[in-house]
Amino acid sequence: MKKTVCVAIFLFHIGLLSLVAYKGAHKEANKTNKRYNIIFYYERTEGARIMEGTAKDEKITLGDLLPQEINGWKAEGKDEIYDPQTIFDYIDGAGEVYRSYNFKQLLARRFTKEGKPDIVADLFDMETSKDAFGVFTHDLEGEEAGIGQGSTYNGGLLSLWKDRFFVSLYSEEETEDTRKALFALGEKVASSIIKEGKKPDIVSLLPSENLTEKSAHYFHNHLILNYHFYVSDENILLLDQQTEAALGIYRENNEKSYLLVVRYPEVNKASMAYKSFMKSYMPDATELGLVQTEDMKWTAAKLQQDFIIIIFNAPSRFFAKGIIEELEERIKKI
Amino acid sequence: MKKRVITRRDFLRVAAMTPFAGAFAYGFKIPEKKEAARRAKVVLIRDKNALISFKKPDPSVVQKMLDDSITTLLGEADPINAWKKLVKPSDIVGIKSNVWGPIPTTREVEQALKRRIMDAGVAEDNIGIDDRGVRRNPIFKNATVIINARPARTHHWSGMGGCIKNHIMFVPLPSAYHGDSCADLATLWYKHNLKERTKLNVLLMLNPLFHGIGPHHYSDKYVWEYKGILVSQDPVAVDATGVRILQAKRREYYNEERPLRPPAKHVYLADTRHNLGVSDSDKIELIKLGWNEGILI
Repeated sequence: MKKTVCVAIFLFHIGLLSLVAYKGAHKEANKTNKRYNIIFYYERTEGARIMEGTAKDEKITLGDLLPQEINGWKAEGKDEIYDPQTIFDYIDGAGEVYRSYNFKQLLARRFTKEGKPDIVADLFDMETSKDAFGVFTHDLEGEEAGIGQGSTYNGGLLSLWKDRFFVSLYSEEETEDTRKALFALGEKVASSIIKEGKKPDIVSLLPSENLTEKSAHYFHNHLILNYHFYVSDENILLLDQQTEAALGIYRENNEKSYLLVVRYPEVNKASMAYKSFMKSYMPDATELGLVQTEDMKWTAAKLQQDFIIIIFNAPSRFFAKGIIEELEERIKKI
Repeated sequence: MKKRVITRRDFLRVAAMTPFAGAFAYGFKIPEKKEAARRAKVVLIRDKNALISFKKPDPSVVQKMLDDSITTLLGEADPINAWKKLVKPSDIVGIKSNVWGPIPTTREVEQALKRRIMDAGVAEDNIGIDDRGVRRNPIFKNATVIINARPARTHHWSGMGGCIKNHIMFVPLPSAYHGDSCADLATLWYKHNLKERTKLNVLLMLNPLFHGIGPHHYSDKYVWEYKGILVSQDPVAVDATGVRILQAKRREYYNEERPLRPPAKHVYLADTRHNLGVSDSDKIELIKLGWNEGILI
């Protein structure tokens, strides 16, 4: 009888603790959802709401980073603010790209000038400079614009990053006037952002020899990996928002190879991911994670501490082994 | 049954077997899937006078293109008789359009479709044209027939925006279909009887977008005047044909193989996983009409 009462009391306490834990978690989730579900419409004339990002030492007024006028184009209507939940209302499924880089907030401002195409400025607070850099590397096509910490111009779109901000400036039609206005606007925004941000270390692991210009991408999840280089429909590398990955395209004798380096938050996770990858992608690997694929190219994979290194489409066994060994040495030095 | 993982190497295996293995991994048959004897018919019509100016269709040319393609598709000499195979006077008809700013369905196309639906005996009051408001629009709520018409374009997350994707506005939370690059978009066609109610798919290739950039996924630089229209009763077949044209244009423009990014796998999975239609070009009867220059496929 006494034993039964003790068990009952024990179970009661366990239940109580679980309830408290559940409620706490639920409350947090609700807080997050509430935060994400609010859309703020900024009145520029009254000044924009102060943003409090994760960088808590900084309070940056997102709207103040953009001018009211540029080369005769004037800001029109209210600024719009989107968060990771509402971004689809603005750019449909493209919002997933920015969500993949953990973006926090987006401010969109439209500029008009009579008889000229509209200009749309999208200013993303990515919360960290790593992700600002990462989302910039998502689309590197175009000419170097020389603005901010990195920029490209292509077909009426000027993209740049600086500190924790990614900036997209877009003209609805491309003319010589819009091009000048976009560059002037880009310079204004970049000069409004005082600090510079740090690039992710993992990108510097990619050897520069034979690396195709503007081909280094930084990202977190397998959807972005598949965007740049299709590996598998399933997430066989167990990538998530906590993993950091760098992908570079290498050209030798006009043949393209893809070098992928992933850093996992724990050694154990890297080990699990390596096993998962080998099982799905290279079950026939014969030696040291090396296999000749159906197109007669070579794929090699290596687990090193919390890193996985993979070279896809290598033109030869020698090339594959060489680049993996080079990466191993580079990782040892960090 | 556990879902089979499809990797790049599967694609390489298929590509080694046949040059028409599709642009990417999802075109091939999943081995455990039973082979169905399905086929589809798609008509591609082109007219070099289809556009008055950049992005502006010529209404009379577009009307003729639609008439010629639909009569060919349905095996009728007269356009009105062809339309009578799709709608009857008692029907309520929703023309599911697309209002995306840079390349919309256009009023010219919408009105050309509406005119023939009226010619077939449907009262004007029973015809609606809508895109983002379809869930609130009484015509669409009660529609017995849906005509699905939209332009083809690359898409930042699904690879391609085509006829399959155009029905996304019928569901309350479109983003719920974003998983795995919109792989299972076809499932929405099994809601609200969309599969049964959609009698015609019109994929506009008048000025398609073959590559997108930036958050708005658009630049005039990547639009070309193909001046074509694809029609089919099979949404998968019409999209799969559209993908082939976009791929061919990318190949021509970049002078190398540049698969859609991300791959438009939802088109192929609509066939191999969801049985919505036919994606295999070997099983699509493609009838080409009109202007042939720069046809690409």
